[in-house]
Amino acid sequence: MHPTTETAWLLVGTNLLLFLALAPLFDGIVRRVAARVQNRQGPPLWQPLYDLLKLLGKENIDAVGILPFRLAPLVAFASILCVVMILPVAGRATALTPYVDTLSLIYLLTLGGVAVLVGAFAGKNIFALIGASREMTTMIMVEPILFMILLLGVIKTGSLELTTVLYGTPAGDYGWSGLIMIVIALFALQAFVGRQPFDIAEAEQELLGGPFIEYSGPNYALFKYYMMIKQMFYAYLLVAVFVPLLHSGLLVVDLIAQMLLTAVVFLVIGLLAATHPRYRIDQALNYFAGLFVLALGAVAGALFG
Amino acid sequence: MRKELEAQLAVQLHDEVVCVEKTDQRTIFIDVKREAIRRAARIVTDAGGRYMCGVGYDNIARDGTLGMVHTFSMDQNDYFICIRTKVPAIDPVMESITPDLPSAGWSEREFMDMLGMQFTNHPKPKRLVLADDWPAGVYPLRKEVPYDLVPPGAEDVAYQLDEAPPGTRVVPIGPFHPSLHEPEHFAVYVDGETIKGCDYRGFMTHRGIEKLCQTQVSYNEVPFIAERICGICGSVHATAFSQAVESAGGIKIPRRAEYIRTLMLEIERIHSHLLWLGVAGHLIGFDTVFMQAWRVREQLMWLCERLTGNRKTYGMVLIGGVRRDITSAIADDIRAVVKKIEEELRVIHRAIDKDSSIHKRTKGVGTITKEEAIAWGLIGPVARARGVDIDARRDHPYAAYNDMKFDVPVLTDCDVWSTLVVRVLETYEAIRIIHQVLDKMPSGEIFIELKDKIPALRHAITTVEAPRGESTHYVITGEDNRPDRWRVRAPTYTNLQAVPLMLLNEQFGDFPIIMGSIDPCFSCTDRVAVIDLQSGKASSMTRRELEFLSREQLHRV
Repeated sequence: MHPTTETAWLLVGTNLLLFLALAPLFDGIVRRVAARVQNRQGPPLWQPLYDLLKLLGKENIDAVGILPFRLAPLVAFASILCVVMILPVAGRATALTPYVDTLSLIYLLTLGGVAVLVGAFAGKNIFALIGASREMTTMIMVEPILFMILLLGVIKTGSLELTTVLYGTPAGDYGWSGLIMIVIALFALQAFVGRQPFDIAEAEQELLGGPFIEYSGPNYALFKYYMMIKQMFYAYLLVAVFVPLLHSGLLVVDLIAQMLLTAVVFLVIGLLAATHPRYRIDQALNYFAGLFVLALGAVAGALFG
Repeated sequence: MRKELEAQLAVQLHDEVVCVEKTDQRTIFIDVKREAIRRAARIVTDAGGRYMCGVGYDNIARDGTLGMVHTFSMDQNDYFICIRTKVPAIDPVMESITPDLPSAGWSEREFMDMLGMQFTNHPKPKRLVLADDWPAGVYPLRKEVPYDLVPPGAEDVAYQLDEAPPGTRVVPIGPFHPSLHEPEHFAVYVDGETIKGCDYRGFMTHRGIEKLCQTQVSYNEVPFIAERICGICGSVHATAFSQAVESAGGIKIPRRAEYIRTLMLEIERIHSHLLWLGVAGHLIGFDTVFMQAWRVREQLMWLCERLTGNRKTYGMVLIGGVRRDITSAIADDIRAVVKKIEEELRVIHRAIDKDSSIHKRTKGVGTITKEEAIAWGLIGPVARARGVDIDARRDHPYAAYNDMKFDVPVLTDCDVWSTLVVRVLETYEAIRIIHQVLDKMPSGEIFIELKDKIPALRHAITTVEAPRGESTHYVITGEDNRPDRWRVRAPTYTNLQAVPLMLLNEQFGDFPIIMGSIDPCFSCTDRVAVIDLQSGKASSMTRRELEFLSREQLHRV
């Protein structure tokens, strides 16, 4: 558990590379799966990356002209990169992991969400405002579920240390509370990644992209990249927390196994997205409330069970 | 029927009724003095008349008057009743019938704009059709105004939206918005996410089709222009116009041509309903329904290409018949394609029918009662989903529909879901009709040459059941081998007026699907006015200027 400093710093780099490279690819999987469900050929798997490159080559239209509007995409992107850098991928702590604990992870994730809100509110566009208020409501309802998932790990392992919490849960026995939590995590998956039926904040047909409506070019690319990496993080989180590590002894083998599993999670995301309409915000809130109560029950079960 | 009505009118209006005449099997014209228009409309409504549309026309050259016709349909006993009146052009004032019949609101506003008529007691006498910078006092449908008039544009004129209810914010939907597929503007007043009202400013794609056809082309060309009113229900407009002219001119077309018209209309209905089903899926964020419905639809477009040379806009209908015959080889082709479409649609139907998440987004959404639907004169699947049992194909049979056996699906859930189900069921019925057409089609000619001139100043009205509801065409024949007046009322014109009611107190997230549930066709609705070409002055802006402008705009909103 205590690798040399050089390897640990190498892991920071590996994580960054891994997420920056694979996040667009996984997004491509979702698009391809949707296409196949719809009897279409679908775009190349790397299409999301091409989209990003294209956006990066375009002009930034600064429709608002104030600093928070320009900074928001940077903050969002930076915060998700921080998450990636502290993440002990495949059970190996990076050089930065020891400086943080489970709560910091939640803070950093929330920071990204807040940056999206700041960008939207700075714009004053009515569609961005409605989108932001939906995003905010969704965050308030969904982040506690993430918190509960991690809290279960904290309770099971008795530690706040990130590596232990993430990888300790499957190692200790699941128990029925762990099983319930897996189900909850699966049901909340689409909300975590902001896909149908929970792409409510962006809702193209109602809000034309909601919080991001005023963004273009590189700024928009940063937001898009932020969302892809966030998606990959959540998909990976399920694998990390609920599927035991291979423990092959080789980092590469463990890593490949976990990434393959993450790809499977993306298959599920794609299938769910392609077979659901978008829920209305009030319907979504009822749904989240149900999940939240269940999650509370699972945590209580872990405490007293 | 006519006698009873005549007696009623005579008792209640005395000498204010000028004349009652019956021009063909199903049309009754009542000429009244202008003072009696509202009372006459009330009598006809009480007798079971359903308001269809108003038709204004310029008769200044003949007797210095402007004419106004309010048309009604008696759906129970297959009559059209047209109340005609005229007002002197120097004092074109008459009483509005909108307080009694809300669906007459737009018809009256249209002729305020286009002919300079005035309607006293109109609840919302705002500009409807003309551009905001159109000069006052220029009425494009008057004969003195040339069809290609381009008045100078004006700066800083804008439509004044209705007052927003207190505590609401305005969400501008349009002119460009992904849930509207054509340029239109809805100002939606929302309180949080709840819709508290909405104002509509449309008619942005004016092409001046009516004016053009009254001044520039001849009878035989109009069906092709009529077909281009709409990209989806083109045959409907071409058929309706041709029928109106045939009715006015007393032309009887060959039975085989009527069968082929029926065939094309039903093919168009399948196409339109599949298209709508896809769009509806897209509007609730369910793109798989969109892609699958359009995949099924695609085969029909290939079929039409083989049939007519075009995927859509078939160009089949002429005054006097149709342009192409259906051979037995083509008939087999059609049978095979519609059979396949039916099978594939049943698969989609089964999947949708059980999908609880689609139910969530459509059941109990956009609800209005049957009484409201009748009061607003709703038509087509929108009305039939609210328990209003009307269908022009059955109530006022035209083409070959009197030979066809088909059901008219009527549901009573009064929401978006039932409009969806009605449309799917209608598609099966359309396929049924197509099989009957192909089986029963008599042999013979498909076109009859017009020998005599069509007499001038005859009035005729026809309706054709378009996929979205009845399309009503009113024709006054003219002297120069072209109509003197041609009025098109597409179904969206009627249904759109009731959308604010459907939206009231619904969630903002449901706006797209409620709007979409009437299957709006804005190009049909916008057909009328005169093209307003801006001065065409070219200029370019720097990026800085554009950014500045967009910031200004944001601060204003």
